[in-house]
Amino acid sequence: MHRPSAEEFLLTLLESLEELPPDLAQRLATLLKKDHTDRSAAIRQLFEEIAGE
Amino acid sequence: MNEKLQRLVMQAFRGIPSEMTIEFGDGESTVVYGDNGTGKSTIADALEWYFTGEIELLSHEGRQHAVRYVGGDADGGTTSVEVLTSGALGGKVVFPDERTPDMFQALRRETFLLRGRTLADFINKTKTEKWKALVEILGLDAIESLREDLQRARNDLRKASKTTEEEVRVYRRALAAGADTITDETVLANLQQICSMLSVAPPQSLDEVVEPSWITSAVGASASVSPSSDRENLVSEINALDEPVFDKESFAAWNALLSSGRARQLPRASLVREAKRLLEAQSIDAGHCPICGQKVDQKVLARKIETALVEVMEAARDLERFRDPILEQADGLESAREVRQAIYDRIRALALEIPPVPAQPDATIRDQVEALTPVAIAAITSHVADLRRWDKAAAKLARQIAPAKSSTRDSHLVMLAALCQQINAWQQAEKKNARAQQALTLAETVFDAYQQKQKEDLGNLLQQISGRVAKFYSTLHPNEELDAVSIEPWTAKGVELAINFYGSRQRPPHGVLSESHLNSLAIALFLAMAASFNEKLGFLILDDVINSFDVEHRGRLAELLADGFADWQLIVLTHDQQFFEHLSRRAPSWRKIEFTSWSHASGPRTTKYETSGTLAAARERLQSDDVQGAATKGRRALEELLQEVCEALWAPLPFRRGQANDKREMGELFAGVRRALKEHAKSQLPTIEPVVKHLEADVGATLNVAAHASRGRSGAGEVEAALERIEALDTLWTCPSCRTRVWHKGTPGAARCRCGKSAFPPVAAG
Repeated sequence: MHRPSAEEFLLTLLESLEELPPDLAQRLATLLKKDHTDRSAAIRQLFEEIAGE
Repeated sequence: MNEKLQRLVMQAFRGIPSEMTIEFGDGESTVVYGDNGTGKSTIADALEWYFTGEIELLSHEGRQHAVRYVGGDADGGTTSVEVLTSGALGGKVVFPDERTPDMFQALRRETFLLRGRTLADFINKTKTEKWKALVEILGLDAIESLREDLQRARNDLRKASKTTEEEVRVYRRALAAGADTITDETVLANLQQICSMLSVAPPQSLDEVVEPSWITSAVGASASVSPSSDRENLVSEINALDEPVFDKESFAAWNALLSSGRARQLPRASLVREAKRLLEAQSIDAGHCPICGQKVDQKVLARKIETALVEVMEAARDLERFRDPILEQADGLESAREVRQAIYDRIRALALEIPPVPAQPDATIRDQVEALTPVAIAAITSHVADLRRWDKAAAKLARQIAPAKSSTRDSHLVMLAALCQQINAWQQAEKKNARAQQALTLAETVFDAYQQKQKEDLGNLLQQISGRVAKFYSTLHPNEELDAVSIEPWTAKGVELAINFYGSRQRPPHGVLSESHLNSLAIALFLAMAASFNEKLGFLILDDVINSFDVEHRGRLAELLADGFADWQLIVLTHDQQFFEHLSRRAPSWRKIEFTSWSHASGPRTTKYETSGTLAAARERLQSDDVQGAATKGRRALEELLQEVCEALWAPLPFRRGQANDKREMGELFAGVRRALKEHAKSQLPTIEPVVKHLEADVGATLNVAAHASRGRSGAGEVEAALERIEALDTLWTCPSCRTRVWHKGTPGAARCRCGKSAFPPVAAG
């Protein structure tokens, strides 16, 4: 049985969602590839950046 | 392909003082038999230590150091475990173990070891603990970790959005200044009022105000308003307007004068003056009146003329005394109107609104005075009142348009600046709040969808596992009203086992399952986990897992392992000889190792278990002149065989509670075999019946243990004959090719051996 990684899981999900910013999936993927001291804060910041654009 | 074990070498490890090697061939399944304390679980310990870095039972007790030889100084030297596998997972670990936890990361999700002591651990976990364990096994821990981060991000954004909402509320309350609601229009109106007071052009929208340049230009515009401007002059003039003078009493006195007799003298004034002039010119005929011609005394006439003239002169003087102030007032009123008319014109020139200056009455005062007619006081009174009303309107306008005095303007400018600052902050807060709400909406959308998908995926995974658990469990417990076992989601972060109990859903199942049923469930779960998710390890270790199983369920477990996991490498450790025999018969190709004893000095002793079980053990004892031991083993072998036949043919046997079910009277078993054969293979009865009859006699005599106490060598032959009959009965059910029972696959009425060459009931030759 294939056990997807968290990145795969999230990106598959985002591709299935409509009415999201077009580059959200790509930017989240980039974020998840980096090491973060506080990943939740980085995710929050990304959402805020997108909302401000 | 998942890796299998080929060799295990343990050195100075646990109960092994020197070195012990277990060969697994080319990844063959192995059943290890041994009484308690003979050291067979050392195999499980070594493999657990090698593949996980710890022995869980020792870790719980804080005795990890006990992986070293427990008997004191080991003569084998360094403690180590060396594993040879069919792939790359093999290697050697030396104590102390220097490996880091991340080296086991890839194997953390693998299921490979089930121990009797921890058998029901998973079942007894709480819902949340089950969830966590499953999340790790299913490889969802990274996904769960990301879900938690998304949730934290969502929660932080939720807090931030509440803060920005509150900020907006505060600014709105401040700008509303007591009003119920606030809109852009109301704020703009306030702003425009202040701008009007400062005589600067008001903004047309709030967007203008939030630009820093606007307030700068507004302040500049206010400062550039000149105090000598037209507007200010106009205001000054309005403020300087005198109230129109109107002395009603003087007009009334005038009118009263005109209506008196003295006033009537005035029209005679010219006549009297002419008479006097004539008299003084001596042109009057003496003795006659120059006007009427009557004879008069000249002196008297002169006196009369003089008197009349005095009266006229006095009347004229009275008239003038009253007339001059009136005419003065008339001029004043006219002038007042003209001044106001001029102001009115300038007001209109500035596009300001004010009523017209009241018109004069139709008849002017001067005309009336000149005509010595009474003045129309009411009309003048009304006109003056109109002028005063107009003055009030003008004064009001002046107040409105008056440029602020310096100190007032400053305060208005401060008000304007503060208002602009508030509006700016409010607008910024609104924008910030809008962004926060948008970010929150985005975070909620992603998080909700993520959690939903995670739930669905977990549901699908649970469904798959549940399918396998249910299948394995029903193999162990067929034909029971306990079915539909599954693992089900329980709230957002929990899972629970569930089962149908006589049509009623039980979750968790502890209330309706016996200990052995719970253990069956645990084994089914373990096997399902491994079958579903193992990606690297192709072997399973079961260490003493059948303690609570009766003989029937031991047989079913042996069958499940031998048939359902033929592609796996199974390492089964047991102290139960019956289970060992079951496995040996159902899986003849498996390796067999017996741990015979353990000593402090030399550690475990093993022997390769080459015989076919209890019957072989009886023969061995007979060869060593142990007749009583041979009889005991023979009787045990017969019991096992009959138990197995009864079990396979579903023979109806009286129920015994607990372990007593395993210790039936031999007579019950013979009766069960006969009844089963009558039902499913009547044709077999004539063949089997003579053997059964002999064996019944053997049980009463030759295999009667008590009867051997006084027997000598002469009993050996009888025991040997009994053993041959047992073997003959055994042969009737065993396939000569694969050596497995012919009911290995199928039902009591139609079964086949493992290789399929032998059938039950036997097919008649020809």
